[in-house]
Amino acid sequence: MTDPQQPKDAEVEDAESADESGPPSSRDPMAALLKRSFEAPAAKKAAPSILGGVQRRIRKRSRGKFFADGWSTSDARVSHALIAGAMLLILVLSYFALGPVGVQ
Amino acid sequence: MALPDDPDTRLIDRLVARDERAFNELVRSYEGRIVRLLTRMVGNEEEAKDLAQDVFVQVFKAVGTFRGDSKFSTWLYRIAVNLCKNRVKYLRVRHANEREELDSVTEKSLGDARPAGGQGLGRPDEQMAGKQVERIVQVAIQELEPSFRECLVLRDVEELSYEEIEQITGLPAGTVKSRIHRARAMLREKVERELGEKIR
Repeated sequence: MTDPQQPKDAEVEDAESADESGPPSSRDPMAALLKRSFEAPAAKKAAPSILGGVQRRIRKRSRGKFFADGWSTSDARVSHALIAGAMLLILVLSYFALGPVGVQ
Repeated sequence: MALPDDPDTRLIDRLVARDERAFNELVRSYEGRIVRLLTRMVGNEEEAKDLAQDVFVQVFKAVGTFRGDSKFSTWLYRIAVNLCKNRVKYLRVRHANEREELDSVTEKSLGDARPAGGQGLGRPDEQMAGKQVERIVQVAIQELEPSFRECLVLRDVEELSYEEIEQITGLPAGTVKSRIHRARAMLREKVERELGEKIR
């Protein structure tokens, strides 16, 4: 960066400062090309969540203090509904199995 | 300004109180942006995902130290950029930064995209040529000095303001501006050399 051909810092700062309004991609063709180059691959794929991996790392590093069980912290509402339904079913079955149904 | 909306103070309070569900919400809201940012910085998606997990672990550990002086998203980006710097250094030392993903693509694409005699992009398939140019840019940016690449990505790809970049990188305004300007010039030079034509 000591090349005498290079513009001085102050000149460079001025050039950048003059460009402060709006996104750089709207003014500089290189910035536009750069943005386009990185937006295209990002838009293509919806990456799978890293949440599970993050929870595992926290669980390991906290020695089980946080995110102690994998399933209850998964944030998936379906699992809660399933558990609630299963519990309800067990209660109803228990009631009919143990209760005084049909005894006269 | 491209920084995402900040989580409300209630969510931050829940995070500070170590609410695991609040943390799940936070990860889901920000993981896409953080992984994309890190992929642009390290040039390898798998490495970026691994790094992003470390970023959120760090956030979980350090959220109590967030004082609200800056936006939460700025604070989060700062953690990501700092961890990224350390990882890039580590990878360099280990000679592990092969950039397999981009390199393998590039070797092929440069061969195809580089016009014979450097007389401009080959036709007739312009769409294909456009993709090859994009790949050339993706590879060229990985060849920049990491400190320059970081500023350029934050400005030109993430479209953050100079003030936000100063807060994220901890660099003074003048340094940020001069790095962006020079990084853009270096990138332009590399890309034009590969393409054999001027970018207009």
